[in-house]
Amino acid sequence: MRIRRFPTAGSAGVVVAALVLAGCTGAGGGTTGQSDPILDIATMTFPQSLDPVTAVGGALPFFQATYDSLLKREADGAYRPMLATEWTWDAGRTKLSLTLRGDVEFDDGTQFDGTAVKANLERFKASSGANAKWLSGLEQVEVVDATHVVLHLGAPDPAYLYYLSDAAGLIANPAAFADAEKLKTAPDGTGPYELDASQTTVGTKWVYRRADGYWGERLPFDGVTMTVFDNETAIVNGLKTGQIDTAVVQDANQQAALEGAPGLTTTPIDFDFQGILLFDRAGVVTAELADVKVRQALNHAIDRKTMLEQIRRGKGVVTSQIFGTDSLGYDEALDSHYAHDPEKAKRLLAEAGHADGFELKMPRMTSIVTEAIASSLKSDLADVGITLTWVDVDQGDALRRVFQNREFSGFVMNLGQQASDWLVVKDLVLPGTFNLFGYTDETVRALVPKIQTSSTEEARDDLRALNRNLVENAWFVPFYRMTYALVTDSGVTAAPQSGMAVPSLYNYRPAV
Amino acid sequence: MSRFAARRLAAGIFLLFVVSFVSFVLLSIPTLDVARQLLGQSASQEAVDAKNAELGLDQPVLARYARWLGDALTGDLGTSWFTSEDVLTAIGHRLPVTLSLMLGVTLVTALLALLLGVWAGVRRGAVDRLVQVLGVVGYALPGFLVTLVIVLVFAVQLRWFPAIGYIPLTTSVPGWLSTVTLPILSLSVAAVAGVSQQVRGSVIDVLRQDYVRTLRARGLPPRRVLFRHVLRNASAPALTVLGMQFVGLLGGAVLVEQIFGLPGIGSMTVTYTTRGDTPIIMGLVMTTVVCVVVINLVVDLLVGWLNPKARAA
Repeated sequence: MRIRRFPTAGSAGVVVAALVLAGCTGAGGGTTGQSDPILDIATMTFPQSLDPVTAVGGALPFFQATYDSLLKREADGAYRPMLATEWTWDAGRTKLSLTLRGDVEFDDGTQFDGTAVKANLERFKASSGANAKWLSGLEQVEVVDATHVVLHLGAPDPAYLYYLSDAAGLIANPAAFADAEKLKTAPDGTGPYELDASQTTVGTKWVYRRADGYWGERLPFDGVTMTVFDNETAIVNGLKTGQIDTAVVQDANQQAALEGAPGLTTTPIDFDFQGILLFDRAGVVTAELADVKVRQALNHAIDRKTMLEQIRRGKGVVTSQIFGTDSLGYDEALDSHYAHDPEKAKRLLAEAGHADGFELKMPRMTSIVTEAIASSLKSDLADVGITLTWVDVDQGDALRRVFQNREFSGFVMNLGQQASDWLVVKDLVLPGTFNLFGYTDETVRALVPKIQTSSTEEARDDLRALNRNLVENAWFVPFYRMTYALVTDSGVTAAPQSGMAVPSLYNYRPAV
Repeated sequence: MSRFAARRLAAGIFLLFVVSFVSFVLLSIPTLDVARQLLGQSASQEAVDAKNAELGLDQPVLARYARWLGDALTGDLGTSWFTSEDVLTAIGHRLPVTLSLMLGVTLVTALLALLLGVWAGVRRGAVDRLVQVLGVVGYALPGFLVTLVIVLVFAVQLRWFPAIGYIPLTTSVPGWLSTVTLPILSLSVAAVAGVSQQVRGSVIDVLRQDYVRTLRARGLPPRRVLFRHVLRNASAPALTVLGMQFVGLLGGAVLVEQIFGLPGIGSMTVTYTTRGDTPIIMGLVMTTVVCVVVINLVVDLLVGWLNPKARAA
């Protein structure tokens, strides 16, 4: 939130005399001045483009700077008005009525209205963006008048408010759709900031300046700079030297390097979990996995606590469930459902008729499955008689072989734990990307329709029952939730965002 | 001399075509599913196929290369598949960063290596042994270790220089100096060590030549013998090594750019190559080849100027 001047140390004079005479200016961005309210955010995630149809979770702050969303999602996950001031569901939960603000304009004077909402939602649905599937059930956007629209869904979708507070709800100027190529690098929204193209280097640094006459809540920074780094060493050094105001540090060793650093505050974020996504519960590729006892044996074989200590310096929480702490389905007791018990694992395998073990082939993407994780899993499973064979794959290869060719029974992944329970159900439980073989069971078949047609609060008990069923039937082999560090310097405070690995842009404040 | 330069230039242009073709063919081997990376794991096969068609990946390699070459010859290197930025603009933003490092390291290396090499070659004895030991140590120290120590001491602990970032020369000269000093220092350690040994060896060789003995016997001042005759003849091999160092820095800058968070083409190469962003990678390959050709040409011309016999080679 400043530009710091490095000491003009005379002792450095031997190296660069001219430099010392003139003073060294930090590279953290911003301009000169006594109180330069520029927020410098460092990140390792950057957007494919600034066209909102390409927005995804970790890159959302890049879009929030220049686009408003229909709903605002607060740090705790609660929905508040933004471009939409009210929203109501019909009794069947297939019609969502939105009341829109009538006093918002785009830069070129185009009015934000129902027609703009319709154009944006339909474009998002038809796009090839990563989250376009969210709106696959949107049958029609009915524009009642300039400030009222009704979204008609083919079937109830409890995550709709989430979508509208996230990528799908970002509203761009429909006039810009005619030149979609331009929109990729020149955002055109109604948001609190404007992209400063002259200072921005796409792929490296995005610089935003306050938008004049912004209709909404004035954010406390005159500008925001988001700098992308390809490693956390540079980010940590930047935080230590005050060139960066805030960043989320994921790597446990880098987190350790920040411990005790003066002036820095660390807030834990539990978002991603690491574990085996066990797709093959019907035993299509590995027949043995069709037996629940075999899947339970896998869970009992893994020494989660030791893995967490050795691989992540204990920075995380062991778990046996895929529902995150911000979701209604989360049940703390399920974190410890599968204790490390090799004897029980062997017994379960014997009861399943596999006392001599079996071979499990899994793809290994080294960016996730490090040598330590690979050897740890291999060793734990070998202890109970299961031969784990790693097949090395690179990222592109993995996506094709795992998700398209369905060559493997499981895949070790780091996955975000969504705050929206329905997104967890859609992504991980219903047939689809992470349920490749379309496996289901009686309990899931009974609970999912109830959850789908209930309000979120009404579904709490059913979500918990669903979660327990998934854990008891060993649909997955989660290891632990990984604790990341949201680091801020003495000039900034930041609140973690429920269901996101990084805070929303609205969550930063100057320190008092 | 002009025919010599024209010959080298023609060879460089030929090299540019050969490297572009080989690189394009290698990049066309489908190890990375670019479309699926762009669309995410959950994309349907139809969407992936459509994206492949949009990127032209459904076309034969030769057809794609012909199209790329045709565009490239008109100055259009395309746009990044992953960030939508214009390739020339993207490289244009980053090239000054890496060139700052390369030129800085070359300057520092030329000065220090010359000083150390001549000092050791002329003085011999304890001075020579000291320079040799320093050379071996400087060359043997792992580059990443040197860089990390330098950043921790001079940036994180002493706060004399910024730990990360780059300020363009056009924005602020002191700012630019502050951001490139430590990276240049990091890269110069091994470069000075290597080139100083080359200069030392060349100086010793030339000093043993008969014509040097003759010049001395004719009563020429030692300083004139050294600077006018010895250095001129000893410089040619040192220049060649310096040129190779310069070219090597294009790759060697990757680590330093990453640790110092410098947005140069070194770190860019790693980032975009691992994704399979063909337009950007081809742009980087062409930039690198042009740099190599220009450097080699400059070195050849300088060597040819210093030693006219080399022009005939």
